[in-house]
Amino acid sequence: MSIVTVQLGQCGNQIGHEVFNAICSDVHGTHGLCSKKENESYCDACKERFFCEEESEVPVARAVLVDMEPKVISQTLSMAARSGYWKYDDRSHFCQKQGSGNNWANGYSVHGPRHKEVIMNLVQKEAEKCDRLGGFFTIMSMAGGTGSGLGAYVTQCLRDAFPTSFILNHVIWPYGTGEIIVQNYNSVLTLSHLYQSSDALLVHENDVIHKICAQLMNIKQISFRDVNQVIAHQLGSVFQPTYTAEGGLHYSRNPLGDLMETLVPHPEFKMLGLRNIPQMPENSLAYSTFSWPGLIKHLRQMLIANAKMEEGIDWQVRPPRLGLHPLSHSANKPLQFNTSIANLVILRGKDMHSVDLGSFRDPSLYTSWLNPQDAFNVWKTPRAFNKYEKSASLVSNSQFLLKPLDNVVGKAWNMFASKAYIHQYTKFGIEEEDFLDSFTALEQVISSYTIL
Amino acid sequence: TTCLLLPLENSSSFLSRTSFYNNCWFFPSMYCLSLYNQIRFVKSALWYHGYGRPELYRLPSDGSAGSRELLLAFSWLLHRLSLLEQLLARNRVKTGDETSVCTCEDDLPNSQTGTTEIAPEYGLEDRVDVRYLQWLNGRLRFQWRSLHAQHQEQCKLLHKIHLFTSGSHMDQTLGHFSVTETDLVRQPENYKQLLQLLELETMQLEAFLEWKQLEPVYWQWMVMNQTDFEGIFSQKSTILFPLPFFPLQVKTKEEELQKEEFSATARKIQESVELKLLNLTHLCAPKKTQLHGSCRLVFRSKHPASKMAVSATEVIRELQMREASLERELKQLQEECRQRLDEIAEGLDGVICISP
Repeated sequence: MSIVTVQLGQCGNQIGHEVFNAICSDVHGTHGLCSKKENESYCDACKERFFCEEESEVPVARAVLVDMEPKVISQTLSMAARSGYWKYDDRSHFCQKQGSGNNWANGYSVHGPRHKEVIMNLVQKEAEKCDRLGGFFTIMSMAGGTGSGLGAYVTQCLRDAFPTSFILNHVIWPYGTGEIIVQNYNSVLTLSHLYQSSDALLVHENDVIHKICAQLMNIKQISFRDVNQVIAHQLGSVFQPTYTAEGGLHYSRNPLGDLMETLVPHPEFKMLGLRNIPQMPENSLAYSTFSWPGLIKHLRQMLIANAKMEEGIDWQVRPPRLGLHPLSHSANKPLQFNTSIANLVILRGKDMHSVDLGSFRDPSLYTSWLNPQDAFNVWKTPRAFNKYEKSASLVSNSQFLLKPLDNVVGKAWNMFASKAYIHQYTKFGIEEEDFLDSFTALEQVISSYTIL
Repeated sequence: TTCLLLPLENSSSFLSRTSFYNNCWFFPSMYCLSLYNQIRFVKSALWYHGYGRPELYRLPSDGSAGSRELLLAFSWLLHRLSLLEQLLARNRVKTGDETSVCTCEDDLPNSQTGTTEIAPEYGLEDRVDVRYLQWLNGRLRFQWRSLHAQHQEQCKLLHKIHLFTSGSHMDQTLGHFSVTETDLVRQPENYKQLLQLLELETMQLEAFLEWKQLEPVYWQWMVMNQTDFEGIFSQKSTILFPLPFFPLQVKTKEEELQKEEFSATARKIQESVELKLLNLTHLCAPKKTQLHGSCRLVFRSKHPASKMAVSATEVIRELQMREASLERELKQLQEECRQRLDEIAEGLDGVICISP
């Protein structure tokens, strides 16, 4: 089964490129630490997912690149071609001469409808190349103009054109102190629109990744590229092939479907967060050893204390004791505790069969209306990922995003109340009523996640 | 005692139990289920098919009792669903590529028109969070989508095979190989397996014929044992078996009736029977435009579609007409609801109701 990646805007294109790079270098690496046969089926499954190999020497990424400026796309295309391991299809991109000027409305109401046909044609062509189209993976930033505005529009078009395909939107949450004055407006509009047409939103916060680069990767001067590589590594750790069924004999051919079915069947809860362990500079890997119990213990505490990385975890946070207040379960729980709806743990590498994940099957971790059997899943593979002898990732549908979401909506609302910058949106056809609809939709999301 | 397939085990010349399980379409890998789940599953499957005898659903979930009830239920399935015929049809060795076509209006396979839609009473506990149900519903939706993608892939691959092998088949009307045939061309040694399957099928058919000859004995034996099923006739949902039960029923009914009411009741019964018969003739009437069942897939590139083929435009036109009529019905119902709401609102003091 194949996934068609849609890279939108500067951010989406740069991250998309890093994702394909990470996947490719993982496949070509000699670090697999598993049998030759295992490695072969892993590579085959990976290639089917992300690349097609018709008439060309190197694999061609199943991707559509969209931006309103030509610069980033041409850079991306040439960098991929130069790698010698993979490339983009020369005809599978679309760009214009002028950007969206960080205006969501411009991307959504002007560029979107104007270029819909060309973009959707490219997507259709990519989709037809797949024997089995599993779904779409769109990558975009939430706060800018092209990625977010056009991205929201394209996602809507994807939903209309492919009503039975899975759509996973990867969105980059802006820095808390971003340089775009209207980033909160853009974010509110993006999220509320995606929430309607997408099946799940996988969120990466720039602030968090920045911290990971500084504290775990020991990078002194952090560039966009560093940030993007960490994101790509995390995404790869989820989307590279795994066995999704207990005792399965084949690598899953339906990664998006399996992911969605596990984590986001409920249409009101679509926010996914991603954590991984370990994460460290490549040159330190040789001097480090890890034990599965240690990794799992950390990962679990990262989940319940809502820590985004293994450093600075609050070990005081404990799950609420069940049964004490059956009726006011959510009201009486400790404030810092992060309640989950559903979790998916992905284990890669040596001895992963012996790992005890009982601590993730604790009912007190989850909302009262789901039991751990429904709410918790594991994917595994003995094949090591990107030079990590053992690694674990956690995709979680939980309250982790409540605070940032509340912040963004609050800030945007304050600006909206004083009618600041609204005219920039109305002039492209996004009216105050549209804003109000978006605010309402997100307040609903916040309230749903709050009363788990 | 919980073995549902008791009669099958006895007639040893029929399918072995293992192969029966493996080929069974309504027991998804039965061996993977725990006993508790097996029992739950059997109960819900029977409920789904419309088996209404409460004694079965009251059986303990640890499997400690119930072989008689199961025997009765099994016989009911055997008779009602034509179970064996269905299984044989389902497990037929297919050398050609087939697809299921259904243009029936209700989209239900014929055999399932008798299924119930009411939820079993024993199933869900009293308090279920609606969010859990939404979650389960969402999962079903996603699983359906995955199935859909899988089916599309199958179509795509079939098309490739048919296209690449066109002109290779001896049979001019077909022109191309099927999946099985392509596999045989590529790996000729697989014919042994195919032969084995065909031989197995022949055996099954022979066994089936034998069973058909002996079947009356089975039913007679069942009827002889019917006294053991206490209260079988006292239930509302009487189980209808072939002949022998019927006279008995009528007799009890007759005794209940008082003479003066007799003619009125008789008329009523007569009317309801006529109505049911009318329904039946309607249901069983041959519908020319409606296809249902398995069809052999044959790839045609340029030839015009044959008479039997389903024409997409025709189906679309029919669907559009249906959509229009449903919309009319919806509007009418909405209007009725609005009127009823208005009536209700009038009866309430101090309440202003704004109709939607």
